[in-house]
Amino acid sequence: MSRPLLVARGLQKSYRMDRTEVKVLRGASLSAERGQYLVVTGASGSGKSTLLHLLGALDVPDAGSVEFDERNVFDGSALHRDHYRNRHVGFVFQFYHLLPELSVVENVMMPRMVSSSAWHWLAARRPARRDAEEVLGRVGLSHRVRHRPAELSGGERQRAAIARALINRPLLLLADEPTGNLDERIGGEILKLLAELNQQGQTIIMVTHDERVAANAHRRVRLFNGVIHEADGRHAP
Amino acid sequence: MYKWFFAWRYLHTKLIAFFGVASVMLCVAMVLVVMSVMGGFLDTIRARSRGLHSEIVLEGRTAQGFPFYKEFADLLVREHADSVRLATPAIYTYGIFRVPLTTFTQPARVLGVRLEEYVQINDFGRGLQYDRYYPGTTRLAPQRMAVAGINDAGELVLPADLEAANARWRAAENDRGEIEAFWRRPFEPALMPEALPVTGGERVFAADVTEPTYAGEERYGIIVGCDLLNERRPDGKFDRYLPRGTDIALTLMPLSPTGNPTGEPPVRVPLRYVDDSRTGIFEIDKINVYVDFDMLQHKLAMDPQPMVGGGATRARTNQLLIGLAPGVNLDDACTRIRGAWERFVEDFPEELSDADAKALHFVEVYTWEDLQRPFIAAVEKEKVLVTFLFALISVVAIVLLGCIFYMIVEKKTRDIGVLKAIGASARGTAALFIAYAAVIGVVGSILGTLIGSLFVWNINDIQDLLASVNPQLRVWSPDIYSFDRIPEVVKRGDALWIASVAVLASMVGSVIPAWIAGRVWPVQALRYE
Repeated sequence: MSRPLLVARGLQKSYRMDRTEVKVLRGASLSAERGQYLVVTGASGSGKSTLLHLLGALDVPDAGSVEFDERNVFDGSALHRDHYRNRHVGFVFQFYHLLPELSVVENVMMPRMVSSSAWHWLAARRPARRDAEEVLGRVGLSHRVRHRPAELSGGERQRAAIARALINRPLLLLADEPTGNLDERIGGEILKLLAELNQQGQTIIMVTHDERVAANAHRRVRLFNGVIHEADGRHAP
Repeated sequence: MYKWFFAWRYLHTKLIAFFGVASVMLCVAMVLVVMSVMGGFLDTIRARSRGLHSEIVLEGRTAQGFPFYKEFADLLVREHADSVRLATPAIYTYGIFRVPLTTFTQPARVLGVRLEEYVQINDFGRGLQYDRYYPGTTRLAPQRMAVAGINDAGELVLPADLEAANARWRAAENDRGEIEAFWRRPFEPALMPEALPVTGGERVFAADVTEPTYAGEERYGIIVGCDLLNERRPDGKFDRYLPRGTDIALTLMPLSPTGNPTGEPPVRVPLRYVDDSRTGIFEIDKINVYVDFDMLQHKLAMDPQPMVGGGATRARTNQLLIGLAPGVNLDDACTRIRGAWERFVEDFPEELSDADAKALHFVEVYTWEDLQRPFIAAVEKEKVLVTFLFALISVVAIVLLGCIFYMIVEKKTRDIGVLKAIGASARGTAALFIAYAAVIGVVGSILGTLIGSLFVWNINDIQDLLASVNPQLRVWSPDIYSFDRIPEVVKRGDALWIASVAVLASMVGSVIPAWIAGRVWPVQALRYE
């Protein structure tokens, strides 16, 4: 058995709402193999997004660790975590979160731009654009390269967001309710696209409250009471 | 790279950026106009001050003056011929200026100068009105009044020497428009019915006979400050009512070598008005009159006077104006001349009288800059103060920019979260907004410099336009600001300095919002649509 790409151990996270402390994660543990399509389900408010944010180092846990390729992403500095998000992780959000002033291709190129200095960008710009157009082709948006996000449908926006997540060829794709804002048909197309990407070797961790979208997953786990359980009710390793 | 990319993109996609650019632009334009006008004012004062004096002035610092100026002038020309070009005496005193024809009477500061030398030592000659159109005809020596005649064609004609001088001017003048303008100025009827009929325009002569001639007694000439005798129009030109050659009376009070009144009644000197002088400094042109040095020296009893015990007093002057040879360093020359003066006094071969010794004790050697330093320093301080005040007002723009950026950060919180999600650092997102401010600062500064420069270059036309709508809108008064034209020069160094500070100020204004942007918590920013 190959070593896991990502291992989360004992993640704890709580938020303070007014004067009340809300414990969202109470020692959640999870591992994902390379090339795995892992779906985390749970009721609304169960802490799925919080878990995903911790896995992607968008947030810092109160306790626990996230090891990516056997290195704890929280051991390093904030810059180290920024680099992790830029190079190793791609995020897909429920509300797409494309930048409205930028065209589709510029949105897709943005992760590449973030990691380039102005000087480096002079040389990197053309390859970045070529890669962005190539990945837009993969998600079926070749005809929307120069459009602004406002000119796209919901499904197209989510495809553009997926393309942006893939531009730096990350090992891990984190998707937070990617179909939550789409109708059933379009949502199905997005799920199909994610499944195709997984078949091409992309590791995907998706969180959703909709059990039905987990049909294509290799593995399903459930977040309940701040702890992750396997689909059969066992605690996840 | 994304910082500059976003800065540029936000600049032309966000309307709010326009307000940022506008505030920087207005501040830059405002400070540039103030600095240019005040700086031009200062430069004009410097230039005019330089033109008023000689390079070096031996200043008596007393009303009664000092002796031995001739001897020292000879010594300078003899022993410092490499650095001293010319030395000429000048007397400063006060008197009562009166036009008997109109009874117009004013106090005046009277300068006794040797005109041929005086015009070589400073810019005085360039400001003479009649000497411009009739070159070489302005003299302070005794002379009569020129009266125009009427030729067969019914035209007014001046005496032959004046017509010849005018022909010389026309031949030498390259500006044909200026010559045409000269001829366009009409000879107008006299405004003084009890006097000789006069010709009008900017050159005014008496005219009442068939043949051009000279009339009246021979009298020493007097050059009068243009604002003392004439009326200045809002456009900076003058209305002249008195013909060239009009009788003038100057009343003077002689002083003894010790500074006491001589006991004689005040001296009334009949003179002939020969020209207008325009130095360009209102305070001078409003009060100064210029007469022949030797005549004034005599009338003020500053020439050798017999003493009761025998012998005579020494001729005195108030100043010795010293012109330097081209290329001579002013301060070095001043030091050398000061040394020469000290040696001259110490080694003087004769026994000095008590009055002469005391008068020599007061004499100082100055450069023209030393003489004008109090005035120039005051204007320099005024310039710094006004610039500081306007810069302070510009702080408002920085606060405004801070508000604008705070609003942008508030509005762009989600975008900041997205950027952080794809790997942008906190420092990078903060730098994005500082870069944005820098771009706004640069664009605002360029536009502000352009608008400010255009305004300064056309400031007199703008004032004329405003004054044509309402005379109360004429804000630049020569009575107050000394000069009749607002300075119109923009210095590149000033513009660059102001623009640089504006860009820096824009960036400073964005620091707090940028810091807030850097601290945006992406999880919160991305949670909702």
